[in-house]
Amino acid sequence: MSTVESRTRIGAGVNRVDGPRKVTGTAPYPMDFSVPGQAYGALVQSTVAAGRIVRMHTEAAEAAPGVITVLTHENAPKVGTGPTTVLGAAPPPPLRNDRILHHGQHIAFVVADTPEQATAAARLVRADYEATEPLLDLQDPRAEQLVDPWGMDTSRGDAAAALKSAEVTLQATYTTADNTNNPLGLFATLAAWEGDALTVHDTSQWPSMVRTTLAMVFGIPESSVRVLVPYVGGGFGAGLRVWPHVILTAMAARMIKRPVKLVLTRPQMFTSIGHRPSGVQWLGVGATRDGELVALDHRSLSSLSMEDNDYEPFTWASSFAYRCPDVITQDRQARLNIAVPTSMRAPAEAQGNFALESALDELAHQLRIDPVELRLRNHADVDPRNGLPWSGKALRECYEVGAQRFGWSDRNPEPRSMRDGNWLVGYGMASALFPYFAQPCAAQATVRRDGSALVRSAAADIGTGTYTVMAQLAAEELGLPLDQVRFDLGDSDMPHSMMAGGSGLTGALGNAVHDACRRLLRQFAELAHDDADSPLRGFPPDDMECTDGRIHPTGRPDLGEPYADILARHGLTELTANGNSTPPVPTELGMSLSGAYGAKFVEVRVDADLGLIRVARVVSAIDGGRILNEKTARSQIIGGTVGGIGMTLLEDTATDPRTGRIANGTFADYLVAVNSDIPDLDVVFVGEPDRGTATGTKGVGEVGLVGIAAAIANAVHHATGKRIRDLPITLDALL
Amino acid sequence: MRAFDYVRATDTREAVRLLADDPEASCLAGGTTQLDLMKDGVLQPPRLIDITRLPLHGIERRDESLHVGALVTMEELAADTTVAERLPMVRESLLLGASVQLRNMATIGGNLLQRTRCRYFRDPTVPECNKRAPGSGCAAVQGAARMHAVLGASERCIALHASDLAVALVALDALVHIQGPTGSRTVPLTEFYLTADVSPERETVLEHAELITGVEIPLPPPAARSGYLKVRDRTSYEFALASAAVQLVLDDGTILEARVALGGVGTKPWRAHAAEHLLTGAPATTATFTEAAEATMQDAWTVPGTAFKVPLARRTLVRELQTVSGVTA
Amino acid sequence: MTRVTNASRRDTDDLPAVIERVVTLTVNGRPHTLRLDTRVTLLDALRDRLGLTGTKKGCDQGACGACTVHLDGRRVLACLTLAAQAEGRDVTTIEGVSGTDGHPHPVQQAFMEHDGFQCGFCTPGQIMSAMALMAEGRTGSDEEIREFMSGNLCRCGAYPNIVAAIREAAARGGHDARL
Repeated sequence: MSTVESRTRIGAGVNRVDGPRKVTGTAPYPMDFSVPGQAYGALVQSTVAAGRIVRMHTEAAEAAPGVITVLTHENAPKVGTGPTTVLGAAPPPPLRNDRILHHGQHIAFVVADTPEQATAAARLVRADYEATEPLLDLQDPRAEQLVDPWGMDTSRGDAAAALKSAEVTLQATYTTADNTNNPLGLFATLAAWEGDALTVHDTSQWPSMVRTTLAMVFGIPESSVRVLVPYVGGGFGAGLRVWPHVILTAMAARMIKRPVKLVLTRPQMFTSIGHRPSGVQWLGVGATRDGELVALDHRSLSSLSMEDNDYEPFTWASSFAYRCPDVITQDRQARLNIAVPTSMRAPAEAQGNFALESALDELAHQLRIDPVELRLRNHADVDPRNGLPWSGKALRECYEVGAQRFGWSDRNPEPRSMRDGNWLVGYGMASALFPYFAQPCAAQATVRRDGSALVRSAAADIGTGTYTVMAQLAAEELGLPLDQVRFDLGDSDMPHSMMAGGSGLTGALGNAVHDACRRLLRQFAELAHDDADSPLRGFPPDDMECTDGRIHPTGRPDLGEPYADILARHGLTELTANGNSTPPVPTELGMSLSGAYGAKFVEVRVDADLGLIRVARVVSAIDGGRILNEKTARSQIIGGTVGGIGMTLLEDTATDPRTGRIANGTFADYLVAVNSDIPDLDVVFVGEPDRGTATGTKGVGEVGLVGIAAAIANAVHHATGKRIRDLPITLDALL
Repeated sequence: MRAFDYVRATDTREAVRLLADDPEASCLAGGTTQLDLMKDGVLQPPRLIDITRLPLHGIERRDESLHVGALVTMEELAADTTVAERLPMVRESLLLGASVQLRNMATIGGNLLQRTRCRYFRDPTVPECNKRAPGSGCAAVQGAARMHAVLGASERCIALHASDLAVALVALDALVHIQGPTGSRTVPLTEFYLTADVSPERETVLEHAELITGVEIPLPPPAARSGYLKVRDRTSYEFALASAAVQLVLDDGTILEARVALGGVGTKPWRAHAAEHLLTGAPATTATFTEAAEATMQDAWTVPGTAFKVPLARRTLVRELQTVSGVTA
Repeated sequence: MTRVTNASRRDTDDLPAVIERVVTLTVNGRPHTLRLDTRVTLLDALRDRLGLTGTKKGCDQGACGACTVHLDGRRVLACLTLAAQAEGRDVTTIEGVSGTDGHPHPVQQAFMEHDGFQCGFCTPGQIMSAMALMAEGRTGSDEEIREFMSGNLCRCGAYPNIVAAIREAAARGGHDARL
């Protein structure tokens, strides 16, 4: 069992170590790499959503200037499939057969000498299809439904009976729209073969998994694959899987014996790399008249593609979000002729929390209980699934601090009671959580003869600050100033890392870095233990710490010596240690891993005539456990909030109801929040280091987004008296 | 993009001649519509005539009208002192019309000729589009329509004219100066646009090889007040769901003169003559404004996704009439 | 069941061979003479031909601002500008912004201090836009900064920090001689 070590709760808000590269444009993103002799790829995508290809017409493209080859299902080599991961089986490889499963499916890959030639020639590829009627409507009874696709449905007590006998009940249906991850960086792949060895620059949040996948797909050893991702232009989940276009690029490069580079277009970003699925949720809530929850029935149906899978258990967190004796949660997915959905920032929670926290607001309104008070009355002091204590949960403090900073007590509970000229003013709040997640992770730490340290892992920094916080953590562990520590990542030749996703990387990698640094320290101590010239001689190697670059027995900085002196005396240029972390097991800990919590307070303004909705203020009180860097952690919460505002008020991937074509697949048509949509955002961190792991962090990448939708919807209700249960909330619904 | 020949014209006559010589050639000015549509594969001209260096960059006040060269950028026109002092509604429509980067590129002539944002038009893989392929139908009518038109719309086409500036300019009876192979002509902007229920494939009266050389904006009387209200989901950087350009001359609570046009709702920038007729001579009251707004929208043609635009446009117009008149009762 | 094909007639017409043009671009004060396919945009010329990859491609459709550069001192989108159109004009990119002494521009420094970015992909465009914003005199209030920075999308959601960075850079003396 790990123990919590005494450290500062909130780490210094130092500037990002990669900041200078980012502000000068010298940080290289996957699309920025080029190699001599590279050719350029362009995708051709299906223009029907269902059926089969009768014939491909590639002659015109093949004859176009500069074209090297055109790959279709008729000439593409058969390849293998990647590994099953925590996100399910790998996406099916591209160009396997003549079946069309969604509009925008890759049906050909054109390779030419220049990008202009490849793009122009791709338009010359024609396909004849036998098109069939696509299934596009989530609630189409003909669609196959997957029941309990992740084995995560829950049931305790008898929710149906409890609901029937409850003093107060509420039934409501909520819907959420398709959203598209849309990181700013267009996904790019540059694949270069040397014999059977493959080097790939790829937009990925999980370089280690890209390596494994490409090795399996092409039947080569993992040691022959190198994946490089020093910088990623955002991902928000879209980079967690190895998508067909990555395999196509590597496949083409192998065939033409030249490096091939592919940069997706923005419209292709809507159909090639996943999206947040649409969903419908049914909530049944039973309570006593004084607001105690007695029954919760939460069910969901979300959209899925005809093949492939998406981890999206909307309702799962409702089984432990509140103390409630009788609970049932169930998730289903409907297979449709759509591009495959995937994780998008706060997957499942973004949607499930919207329904649950909206319903609680409806209940509070119905019972005339303050929404914060209602939540406090149902606070889950222990994990309601198993009775175990939480490893760390400061949700009560989130409510208290958040409400105080926001001025919640000024709220007149009556809807439509607050007004400023044409603007109706509303206050709303919601709770948020994002469950604990971690995967095995490894890191390597080296101290060199000059006393500086290099720590590495094959992780990705998608903007969360991994470069920075891991350098900070290693500096602290090794007792070195930050500028003496470099943290490297983004290279699959480095020790294996988990995905940059699920708010898990900081914790898992942090614990691996911690382990590597402790082991390194011990190696130094062991060297010194029998060294007659060392002041550390004879001291137990397990009881060392480091201050100001000097290793010394715990509590005795006067007996220390620098790393460099030990290395020099032993004729060594460096010492290296590997560290690992594995996710803790609750039953061994005797605690439930609690994950991050938060309370969100929002003020909205709604134009009484025009229905315009503007977010005026947001206070996010967050329990993120130990915060390694207040500046970058705050940015995570701000960013999640901005994403949440977009999801709530703007984002809606529109699918043509007849053809399944994405009808707004550009940045001019698919609306993400712009600068003027966002007010100043107040973020406060509360709570203590989590007791479940050595470093005490919880991960804050998702919890910033969770709860924003419900808090805004609840504020819109407070402003207007209208309960909107469908996202996004646009002015149409308020006219 | 299809390969194309690039020619830079140095004077207007030469540009017109180059265009006249090649029936498939297109002009390139700011490029914000032209290159975008070429990338989409909607436009595939074999030859681009770059006109950005023609001497059409001036803004000149002559008596009570402002002469604006076709190549003046949106940003330059918004910064003009006459525009700031006498044409607030034009200035607002410019500043609300695009990001600063786009305003530094987009020209006034190009703005008037901007093409619809309809994603069914802009995707050449969609077979049914009467604007792209006359007679093929309209996929948007049965499709995911929201950013579409309700005035001048029909089952033939619901493509929206997305300009903000043109809305203000039609309200002001601006004139378009045109040069063609056989000489020059001047067309009132109100007669410049064709509606999509009549000719989806033809949006303006401009003929091939005709070039807009400038726009003449009559200055309103000093007593006039004006404003432009743009309603959209995002606070900025988005096309209008509905917009209203309003200019009023009031005397002691009575409307002496009214100029009204709507954006975000028409297949062309929509001059609201019916509203003007009702407003002129009437008392400036919310009742009058409401009546005018209802008259403007009574011929709307909607599909399920655009039905909300009818009440929205009414309310947008009422709000802007209230704002410009200062009358909220 | 219906039969459909996915290309318009025009697409299948014979393509002319690639048409090239010799273009001289002045980028960050230095002239470069290139032989370019006429289709090459300023953005692709900078990135693919001159190796100036600091200017980013986020949409290639004029809708995100990631490719913002200065053309004769004004901010424009390089993705909707043909390279040929930039001939004879001064192009400034993020690579031309830092001082010759290697020190970051005050706007760059402020972005670092205020964490005005996360993934960093939109950042060069944000900084080019912010410098122009200051030269335009549009930093009078937070509302003004927000409105006139709205042509630069940031999907990571760093907007409040971007506003804070610009506010501080403007307060420290606004645009300097290097712009």
